[in-house]
Amino acid sequence: MGMLADPMEKVKPVGDARAASGSNKVSTRDVSVFYGEKQALFDVSVDIPANQVTAFIGPSGCGKSTFLRCINRMNDTIPIARMTGAITLDEIDIYDPRIDVVELRARVGMVFQKPNPFPKSIFENVAYGPKIHGMTRNKSELEALVTSSLKRAGLWNEVKDRLHEPGTGLSGGQQQRLCIARAIATRPEVVLMDEPCSALDPIATAIVEELIDELRSNYTIIIVTHSMQQAARVSQKTAFFHLGKLIEHGRTEDIFSNPREKQTEDYITGKIG
Amino acid sequence: MTDTAVPSPGHAPSAAALAQRRRRYAADRRLRAYGIIAITFALGLLATLVVSLVVSGYPAFTQTFVRVDFPISEDLVDPADPGEGNFRKIMQEGVSTLIPGEHSPRELRAMAGILTDNTQFLLRDAVVADPSVIGGTLTMKVPVSDPFDQLNKGLVDRDTPEDRRRLNDTEIGWFDALVDEGRVSRSFNWGLFTHADSRFPEMAGLKGAIVGSFYALLVCFLISFPVGIAAAVYLEEFAPKNRATDIIEVNINNLAAVPSIVFGLLGLAVFIQIFGLPRSAPLVGGMVLSLMTLPTIIIVTRNALKAVPPSIREAGYGVGASQHQVTMHHVLPLAMPGIMTGTIIGLAQALGETAPLLLVGMNAFITSPPGGLLDASTALPTQIFIWADSPERGFVSRTSAAILVLLGFLIVMNAIAIFLRQRLERTW
Repeated sequence: MGMLADPMEKVKPVGDARAASGSNKVSTRDVSVFYGEKQALFDVSVDIPANQVTAFIGPSGCGKSTFLRCINRMNDTIPIARMTGAITLDEIDIYDPRIDVVELRARVGMVFQKPNPFPKSIFENVAYGPKIHGMTRNKSELEALVTSSLKRAGLWNEVKDRLHEPGTGLSGGQQQRLCIARAIATRPEVVLMDEPCSALDPIATAIVEELIDELRSNYTIIIVTHSMQQAARVSQKTAFFHLGKLIEHGRTEDIFSNPREKQTEDYITGKIG
Repeated sequence: MTDTAVPSPGHAPSAAALAQRRRRYAADRRLRAYGIIAITFALGLLATLVVSLVVSGYPAFTQTFVRVDFPISEDLVDPADPGEGNFRKIMQEGVSTLIPGEHSPRELRAMAGILTDNTQFLLRDAVVADPSVIGGTLTMKVPVSDPFDQLNKGLVDRDTPEDRRRLNDTEIGWFDALVDEGRVSRSFNWGLFTHADSRFPEMAGLKGAIVGSFYALLVCFLISFPVGIAAAVYLEEFAPKNRATDIIEVNINNLAAVPSIVFGLLGLAVFIQIFGLPRSAPLVGGMVLSLMTLPTIIIVTRNALKAVPPSIREAGYGVGASQHQVTMHHVLPLAMPGIMTGTIIGLAQALGETAPLLLVGMNAFITSPPGGLLDASTALPTQIFIWADSPERGFVSRTSAAILVLLGFLIVMNAIAIFLRQRLERTW
């Protein structure tokens, strides 16, 4: 991948300050989320390091997806959702009123549980983000960006002859990689993945997991997963959520081999969940 | 609900279980039979309607013509100004050649009654169109007047006593002589589509009504489509969910159920009295119809927007599209087939709507098609209303024919809606 003539250049940061490389990309402090009267997330504070894969695990309804959706402010689209606490991206508060949420979402891409390509052509799917953000100056730049995004998503060889066929005509696994290509086409720094393999068969899952591992060198990846094996396979850091609380987080090996908390141990050994 | 009541395969069911099963099967069969009876009944009614319309309406699709040789003398028409000739006299001269022999003036007047009262104007138009016939003879097929048209179509009973018939024996004799001479012909009545309304059934057509309906629907579409979509998009995508929007929503649903005559009164009071727009104009008719179509379009548009899966919106937001971009680039295009379908059905309803048009005066007697949105005009349903009210025999069949034409338009519009829905609507 490194030898590609990649037209990507780093998007300008939201603010001026820029964390030194290797430090935490995303940090959260005391994040609580309420859906109306009901509190879904309790005081979550976690640091997510750059260029690593962080997995959020936990039983259904534990708040891990809710937390993930705070990081690109997708919860803004739910009228009754309300958040307290702070989330920083490169030490900039993303809930600052001066932050433009559209730019934020270009920097923090998202891949959803169910593959959801736009009912447009494969090319249009990938080109849409760069187009609306005005990232390319002309058609050839756009084509180069689409090509490189599809290559990075490992989909290029399968679709290069049918870029103008509808994206919805691909198989489930291909659709999910198309969604990954679409997410990385806006040159994000962070990619959020909300159970990206739960709708895929084991072979497609293996391909996507391999892809996640490759993407790690260029992006900070946060993945929500139901599958502990998947967390163990793809992530370097793991955070365990239970009933809206962050129970434990740390290096994936430590969480799985030597959990500190009883609840974590019960979950990974299958006693709860 | 005990387990023993349900026999498992391989075991002989008890008599009670068998009886229960028979009752269950019988109930299933009865339900199906009720459904079939209901559908047969509905189709039967529809068939009755269509058959009765066709039976009474088909004569209007043909018209009886008589071939007349009109001598066009230069005494009666000045070649320099053919429009100002004495065409009434020419008509009389032409008629007098039809039946051989000497005729009293009274007889001549009666003979002229064979032809439509508009004959002199038809003659004038023909001569103006081709002045070279002046000095020669113009042979023309002239529509016969309504009583003779009915006679030719066999709708007049010759056995009725003479004093109770529209036509006396002499007139019937003349007409039969013309038939024997081969001067009478019957062909497709293009006039039904190319003429506007007339006092004389043989000259009356639907062109004015069709053009008027077209203009009214155009106005209705131009108002209700953009306004309806904008309102629905706001309510569905942008509006906060609170008491105010709840009230708006309930009122839109209520608006769809308001009797159409009320909208007509509103149009009369507001558009005509206050705004001073002309009566009978397709513009006003279309505005009133748009009041009725608007709630329909808002409701179908909201439903179509709701049917777009949330995953598409998430995908849009996920790549950083703004709410406007998500709506305009993704949600609205995906909802468009549903919106179009609903709009066409709403317009089809508007096309058949009569009461509000009566109140804004689109039931006037107007003998030329409207040239624009402000010209007085009728519409198809009001034309039917007018003709249904007319005493001449010829209008009976024309009423049915006009209903058939209206139904034809409605069927075409609904067919387009169904085609669009099947062709463009997606499933997820």
